[in-house]
Amino acid sequence: MKRKVAMGMLMALALLASACSNGSGNASTGGKENGGSEGTGGQSAPAKISIMTPLHMAETPDPKIEQLIEEKLNVDLDIQWIPASTFPDRMSAAFATGSLTDIVNISITGANREAIRDGQFWDISAYIDQYENLKKLNPEVLNNTKVDGKLYALYQGRPLSRQGIIYRQDWAKQLGLSDPQNLDELYTMLEKFTIEDPDQNGQKDTFGLAERGDLVSGAFKTIASWNGTPNEWGVMDGKLAPAFMFPEYKETMEFFKKLRANGYINSDFPVTSKTEQQNLIMNSKAGAYIGCMCDVQQLYTGLAQLQPDAQLEVFNQVKGPSGKFTVFSGPGFNHPYLFPKSAIKTEEELKQVLAFMDGMMSPDIANMLYWGIENEHYTVVDGKAVPVKEQAKIDRDVKPYNTIEVGDSATNSRLEGKYDYTPMQKAQELFVDNEAFVVPDPTLMLDSDTFTKHKDRLAQIITDATYNYMLGEMDEAGFNKAVERWKSEGGMQMIDEFNAAYEQNK
Amino acid sequence: MNNQLTMSSGKRAHIMRNILKNKWLYLMISPGLLYILIYKYIPMYGLIISFQNYKSYQGILGSEWVGFEHFERLFGSPDFWMIFSNTIILFALQLLIFFPIPIILALMLNELRSEKYKRTVQTLIYLPHFMSWVIVVSISFVIFTVDGGIFNSLLELLGFEKINFLLKEEWFRPMYILQVIWREAGWGTIIFLAAIASVDPQLYEAAKMDGAGRIRQMVSITLPAIKSVIIVLLILKIGDVLELGFEHVYLLLNSTNRQVAEIFDTYVYVTGIHQGQLSYSTAVGFFKGFVGLVLVIGANWLAKKHGEDGIY
Repeated sequence: MKRKVAMGMLMALALLASACSNGSGNASTGGKENGGSEGTGGQSAPAKISIMTPLHMAETPDPKIEQLIEEKLNVDLDIQWIPASTFPDRMSAAFATGSLTDIVNISITGANREAIRDGQFWDISAYIDQYENLKKLNPEVLNNTKVDGKLYALYQGRPLSRQGIIYRQDWAKQLGLSDPQNLDELYTMLEKFTIEDPDQNGQKDTFGLAERGDLVSGAFKTIASWNGTPNEWGVMDGKLAPAFMFPEYKETMEFFKKLRANGYINSDFPVTSKTEQQNLIMNSKAGAYIGCMCDVQQLYTGLAQLQPDAQLEVFNQVKGPSGKFTVFSGPGFNHPYLFPKSAIKTEEELKQVLAFMDGMMSPDIANMLYWGIENEHYTVVDGKAVPVKEQAKIDRDVKPYNTIEVGDSATNSRLEGKYDYTPMQKAQELFVDNEAFVVPDPTLMLDSDTFTKHKDRLAQIITDATYNYMLGEMDEAGFNKAVERWKSEGGMQMIDEFNAAYEQNK
Repeated sequence: MNNQLTMSSGKRAHIMRNILKNKWLYLMISPGLLYILIYKYIPMYGLIISFQNYKSYQGILGSEWVGFEHFERLFGSPDFWMIFSNTIILFALQLLIFFPIPIILALMLNELRSEKYKRTVQTLIYLPHFMSWVIVVSISFVIFTVDGGIFNSLLELLGFEKINFLLKEEWFRPMYILQVIWREAGWGTIIFLAAIASVDPQLYEAAKMDGAGRIRQMVSITLPAIKSVIIVLLILKIGDVLELGFEHVYLLLNSTNRQVAEIFDTYVYVTGIHQGQLSYSTAVGFFKGFVGLVLVIGANWLAKKHGEDGIY
């Protein structure tokens, strides 16, 4: 009998092993230099350069652009595409195991900041001016990336704020609504989208706002900043205090609680993914989307497939109760590029890598990274890039390369875009419009040891409390208790440290 | 003394001879031994960092020693009891609700007369095992969401209130155990069915002669026959007490159910990988492993005391 049992176990194990062994090969398509191409004859052997970057698509892109870059800059490029959802985890794992690439884009906060201070990354302050393109990078943005006054990072530019609302214009027209000028009008819009049957099908099957579980860049933070909540930290009685201690933060939570209690927002929003959220718009369940206005193109492409006569509109200036328009701003860059010493051993190699980054900023490569190949992915009309109609081709061939752009159109002279789709074009203009009203994070340039070490652990206390409040699972006393807990577990120290740094910098 | 020496060297020679004699057998187990050595024992070296303030760039030898600081922090933390009790409760659910189900299923399958029907059912209930937790959790999300989920639409249609299964603390545990049952129950029957198949048919014939019915046969023959298998699996299960399926729980975890859903595995991941507290999370993992070890030894001891084989 025993033998049979053993056999059974063995078989089970064998099955298990075979079930587990379909490992995922996520290796990049190593674009080898095209051996016989003309012009490369007399040059030195191509420098090997590796880079890790997040991939926002389901598949790794076609290597054509990678090969073109290799050819033009005479390098042997190894791009490691890492799914964006696990990117931060993978980076910290790579860091812990010492397997970083020549160029990494990681945040300059938390444990990374300690590592930067410890000298694990190259200080590039002395080199940057030697490169024709790199020295064009915006000094103010570079300044935002500095640690202790030293420059360690190059950056990829981002408009300061791309936040705004995308809504169903056809529904709004149907109900006699226009751009929501303030939070009350916004509330009314979301209410009417839910109860007044905007799609005229006689059923109550629509609702106002589609939101996802994201307190950092989604609707919550955007509406909070419209309502006058400071960006992460604000000044209260002459001292810095975290945003959630301001009454405006609580008002925003109250706003969401009301929306949810009335069914004007998807009630599972804390566990809704971005894809799910976008689907709610694309299949005409929800009428409004608050976040990056840049998503309007993608939303429309999906929506038009099911509902060809649907119309979307973008708008940014939703004013708060004070009558003023304010919106939070990012630091002006997306991910900073850092150069780990564990991968780049010598100054010689560093110069090679910087020369490569310099090459990436040259206009033709910058265009390639952002727009693709001329006449294949875009055409030039009046000196502006017009993407071709086939969005799928652009998504497949070009989109992933956006993440390794260096600088932005203002610094790397890539072409400005002209979008056929009017709301997308309008969104570009509204990004610029936002700039005059942005609220920066005052702690961006300040240092706090507690923040560096415990920011995520502490943030979780507040994130959990905020969701529970909006869901009605926690009352104001409960929320205040969470704030007290935040303070006692290191938050108070953080406040003191930031204030000390704030006084010094005044 | 001298005598002892020669004896021990004699013993050694004996062992060597034995190894030489069975060299092919030893060669055959060596991949398994190497596997265990390389992937299970050597990495234990890394446990050292739970006594340090480990910084990856300073290395295991270069990091600063802090003694039991991380353990003190763990035991002193208000999170500790929450995680501990969450883990124990989920484990109890697994043991009390999930563990008997494959046995019952196997007994039921064994009673089926049509061989064809039995095979079909068996295959069908295995299948969910091959779906990853991501898929299982996503499917339940689609079914149970309040915004247009099938189940809630059904509830509404029947005139009940909608229930927010995904965001209510009290629904986390039922969802968890139901998903475990759905995915693993069929798979769990394999070993029990194999054990049942090995029961001597003569015993059943004899029992029938004595007038035992089906139920009586099941209780008096099948169950005792597979008892030792059940106990071995039970001990192994207890050893896994703290392996409640990291992936599964992590996917279900969110801001609203953290108070009941955070377990050691997810806590280790969040504190270590997300928040970069490598040493602290290693200390938590170390503690978890230690508890598992104690439980296995305890369960094995209990089994032996009651006259069973145990696992070693």
